[in-house]
Amino acid sequence: MGLFSESVDVACSADGQPESVLWSGRSYSVCAESVRWYERRQWWAEESRVPLGSGPGMVDHEIWRIQVVPVPPAGKSTPVPMEPLTLDLTRHAASGRWRLLRIHDALRLNDTSGPKTA
Amino acid sequence: MSFTHLHVSTAFSAHYGVSWPEELAQAAKADGATALACTDRDGLYGTIKHLRACMAEGLDAIVGVDLAVFDDDGDHRTQVAGRVVVLARGHNNGAGYRALCRLVSDAHARTSGKAGGAVPVAVTRAELASRTLDPLTLKPVLTVLIGPDSDVGRAMGGRRYLRPRTLFKAWLDAMPAGTVVTEIVTQLSTPGMPLSTAHAVRMLRLAEEHHVPAILTNAVRYCGADGAPTADVLDSARTLKSLPELAAEPILQPTGQGWLKTGEQMLRLGKEVIAASGFGTADLTQLMAQTEALADRCRMDPHTDMGWKQPVVPEASVLGISQHPHTELAQRCEAGITRRFPGIAGSQEAEMKNRLEHELGIISNLGFSAYFLTVAEVSRMIQDMGVRAAARGSGASSLVNYLIDVSQVNPLQHDLIFERFLSRDRATLPDIDIDVESAERHNVYHRIFKRFGSERVTLMSMQNGYRARGAVRDAGMALGMDDGEVGEIAKQLWRFSARKFREALQEKPELRQFAGRVEQRDTDGNQQLDLLVDLTERLDRLPRHISMHPCGVILGDATLLDRTPVQPSGLGLPMSQFDKHDMDPMGMLKLDVLGVRMQSAMAFAVREIIRIHPSKTQVVAAGSHPVGPDGAGPDYIAADGAIDLNAVPLDDEATFELIRSTHTLGCFQIESPGQRELIGKMAPREFNDLIIDISLFRPGPMKSDMVRPFLEHRHGFAPEVYPHPDLKPVLAETHGVTVFHEQILKTFNVMTHCGLAKADEFRRALGNEAKEPLVEAFFRKAARERNYTPEVVDKVWGTLKAFGSFGFCKAHGAAFAVPTYQSAWLKAHHPEAFLAGLWEHDPGMYPKRLLVAEARRLGIPILPLDINRSGAQYRVERVDAGKDAGKLGIRLSLNGIYGLSATELKRIVAGQPFDSLADLRARSRVSKPTIKRLAQLGAFDFLHREAGGTANRADLVHHLQQMQGKGTRKGIEVLEGQLALPLGDVELQNIKPGLPAPTLVENVRAELDLIAMDVSSHLMDSHRPMLDRLGVTTADKLLSLRNGTEVLVAGVRIATQTPPMRGGKRVVFISIDDGTGCIDSVFFHEAQENAGLLLFGTRLLLIRGTTRRTGPRGISLSASMAWDLGQPESLPFPDPNRPGTDVEHPLDGISRTLAITGFSG
Repeated sequence: MGLFSESVDVACSADGQPESVLWSGRSYSVCAESVRWYERRQWWAEESRVPLGSGPGMVDHEIWRIQVVPVPPAGKSTPVPMEPLTLDLTRHAASGRWRLLRIHDALRLNDTSGPKTA
Repeated sequence: MSFTHLHVSTAFSAHYGVSWPEELAQAAKADGATALACTDRDGLYGTIKHLRACMAEGLDAIVGVDLAVFDDDGDHRTQVAGRVVVLARGHNNGAGYRALCRLVSDAHARTSGKAGGAVPVAVTRAELASRTLDPLTLKPVLTVLIGPDSDVGRAMGGRRYLRPRTLFKAWLDAMPAGTVVTEIVTQLSTPGMPLSTAHAVRMLRLAEEHHVPAILTNAVRYCGADGAPTADVLDSARTLKSLPELAAEPILQPTGQGWLKTGEQMLRLGKEVIAASGFGTADLTQLMAQTEALADRCRMDPHTDMGWKQPVVPEASVLGISQHPHTELAQRCEAGITRRFPGIAGSQEAEMKNRLEHELGIISNLGFSAYFLTVAEVSRMIQDMGVRAAARGSGASSLVNYLIDVSQVNPLQHDLIFERFLSRDRATLPDIDIDVESAERHNVYHRIFKRFGSERVTLMSMQNGYRARGAVRDAGMALGMDDGEVGEIAKQLWRFSARKFREALQEKPELRQFAGRVEQRDTDGNQQLDLLVDLTERLDRLPRHISMHPCGVILGDATLLDRTPVQPSGLGLPMSQFDKHDMDPMGMLKLDVLGVRMQSAMAFAVREIIRIHPSKTQVVAAGSHPVGPDGAGPDYIAADGAIDLNAVPLDDEATFELIRSTHTLGCFQIESPGQRELIGKMAPREFNDLIIDISLFRPGPMKSDMVRPFLEHRHGFAPEVYPHPDLKPVLAETHGVTVFHEQILKTFNVMTHCGLAKADEFRRALGNEAKEPLVEAFFRKAARERNYTPEVVDKVWGTLKAFGSFGFCKAHGAAFAVPTYQSAWLKAHHPEAFLAGLWEHDPGMYPKRLLVAEARRLGIPILPLDINRSGAQYRVERVDAGKDAGKLGIRLSLNGIYGLSATELKRIVAGQPFDSLADLRARSRVSKPTIKRLAQLGAFDFLHREAGGTANRADLVHHLQQMQGKGTRKGIEVLEGQLALPLGDVELQNIKPGLPAPTLVENVRAELDLIAMDVSSHLMDSHRPMLDRLGVTTADKLLSLRNGTEVLVAGVRIATQTPPMRGGKRVVFISIDDGTGCIDSVFFHEAQENAGLLLFGTRLLLIRGTTRRTGPRGISLSASMAWDLGQPESLPFPDPNRPGTDVEHPLDGISRTLAITGFSG
């Protein structure tokens, strides 16, 4: 499965829930409750070292599925009418950096081909 | 708020758990927990370590087990339907713990005790239900957690509604009320997958519907998130599949979230599950409260529930005692005095009586009389079996043990201190170890079980942890690496801990090549080797499985199996799940019944002596024993020629002469290269010298350079120095050097008057970071008060501090020195019988083939294999013809020939003698390949000659080879009562001659291949011309060389050792045998660098080095370089224009490296 490796900036609330996303120069705000889980990594193929004390994030990575809407650009009062976007983000355990994994658009979600992956 | 983890696997869940109980307890404590559970898989393997760790951290221990449950609908013997956690309830006088032990034993009762058995470790639901209630009060004593890995949990997938409910209902119907809870776990895996929050929600709803309490756990496998990759590797080792294979199945843990999360993190997980279920805050509070309520019910009282440190011994009635055990013990000691000290009187008697009273007083105070009687009973039972037995260890310090025949060492004679063994200040059961003949050990075990009853006895187990080789193999398998490649790497790992693998790559010359390949990862993109190193380090020391301890037997009263779970051992006797570290905490009486091959070898030798010389007169003559003034010979030889080794006086000059000659191959404890060097330097004159020698040859004294000053003082090269005249009586026997624990005790006592019991406490505290400063403070203060000068106090403290933690217990040394002396005595007086015993029981450190060389050196003929004269054992035999006629020789045994089965051997021995090959085939039904092998070894040569055949051994082998190709002909039926006609062997007679006779090299090769010994000639002989051209010096010539002469030597490897050395630098000792004797060479750092891979990988070595004289009769070699004789092109021939020519060599094509060189490198 090809994955996005696009970097995004995410701002979180005090209890760690994502609140807004900066992606390709545009701001989005989270508009529904997010879902979080972990997925396994093939660390033996992806890593070259796993010394003791490597810390968390070796075996799995954190995934967040969030729904966002664009924040209107400064100065414009009326929001651009648009359906919410569903995004899968992953947060790198060691650096705390976020990357965009998948975009699920409404059309694709309705048909049977599953989430768009690349 | 604090959270209690109720489902935690420790590292003692073999191939599953990652973290040690101590780490887990510390982490729980740091997070503010007040209790912690240990629920190892399949057993209570880590339970006692957990209990101890919790007590150290001030936590309450909770104990349980993670068990598989048989499928009620499936095949009861093999099909398992998920796993549950079972927790014992506490504070019920052990009812919960008792039920848990019995339940775990139930789970193992049907297994075979062998790896890969068809029956899994599991209980039926009925067994589980029956154990949950206390049989006396009918109150619940166990709680069963139905969680994600149960049949119910496993049925949660696929959004099935009815199936989990049916299964859950079955549990509720089967289990008594109040014994079941549901276990809610989320490890935050992908929604809808096992261990996802969604599954946890379904489980929570199920609990809610059935009004069963739900509790929250994290199904912990590791202490911190860092353990997750290790858990993956363990999953691979458990399932024997590589990680890529497991990931495809998928069998690996879905996430890496199974760590000991903090209370706060657990609360957040609870919140997440509650929120996703649509329940409210009250439900969250209830979930967390129910978890803590269950934890509270399961807190163990270490003393009342688990019997912490309360010694339990067999009931007096079982020992056959009707009076108070202490009265009985005192009476038996009294009775022993006349036997052990005949005619003792005066001050000696008073001293002995004083000592006895002193010991009995302490034993009585501690209430250990029944313990001593138990040991005495076992000891008596073994001796009644006619098996040699001797106490070893600090038990030899006790006069009581000597008087009740547990020990053979007189503690008064050797000045051994009772307090080193037992004192008022030590409330733990002391160790008494009994050495028995190795060949009789299992019989002794069975007899102990029979004597005390199987409810009071079980074998102790031991934990086998990963060491470097196993770790690298399993890490390699996890990564899916090629078996052969990993095997090659594993071969080079030699005696270092897996945790230091990366460090070793930098340092060890034999790993240089591998280190280079790891380095290259950047250029060829191969990261596997780097990962391999990391994973190997991760596996270090983790337990792999338990096995029967080589000597531990646990004895208790009728409640023993309420206090330890047992499982089958391969031996057919039950084995406790507890190891030696668990004995003392659980108050268990452990007896070490150690099988010692040397005891078997000596017993064998004594039997051979009687067989060959069946009367006292003959034995006295054969062994040159003193006839005595009345000509009757010594008392230790009975009329029938039986020698009572234990009664042999310890001052035999011939024995000490043999020891000083350093020809001690085969003698107990003093045959290693290092020991031969030490006895050569020390030149022992009396028994006490042997005790000192054995005590000096230990890692501690060797490392701290105690040996050199001792020898200098002993030989008078340097004056003896005593820190203070008061200490002279204490240190005189070792010329001022502190060697024994006993001397440390006395030093404390002399300078502080603290008493010997206290002194032993102080000795134990030495080297302990926390306690040593307190001891030092006391010592300095008390010694100063007794007017010792600051200089003296400083100096003595320095000695105590340096030697205290590793000095040797003199009682151990004395107990060891007895068989050392006895074996040397046998070798000096009856070398043929002794060598036969060595061959038969193989007690030594060297490959058996070295005994051939020793026999040659001693002029003892080795008699070849013969189908009619060789038996199932090595035998001493009078040579009836030839140049050795009249001498005693040793006849090789048929046992141990490659491919000859035990049943074939039995039938051959039962059928002897055979008059022809046909007779052999008919009556012993030996397979064709075996007959051919016997022919190759010359076992038919005599028969062949008698038959008058003109062919040679090669023709016979050829003939048999051809027969092998043909179809099987039924053995000739011999009718009862019909005698075979004495025609001689027509078959042998008629074999066509024609082939050239086998060469010596061919014969030796057959011997090496089939019996791993070179009997016909030494395997180095064929190399002789090449060695002459190289200018090699032979072993027998070395002693005449000047110290520091540079020489080349060559031979076959016979010993490889890396003992601990001063300064921590590794030194490698390699001994080789060249047919004229042994050469001991030592490789220091630079030589190791030069030799590289050859250090551990070569059988035939050419070594350059300089001679080091080690004593009047000892010389060794300090090596500078080594070559592989198997690679002639690499050898340093003086004339490079005449390269080595390929000669045929007996070792060519022989792969039995371990048996031949004693090393499988």
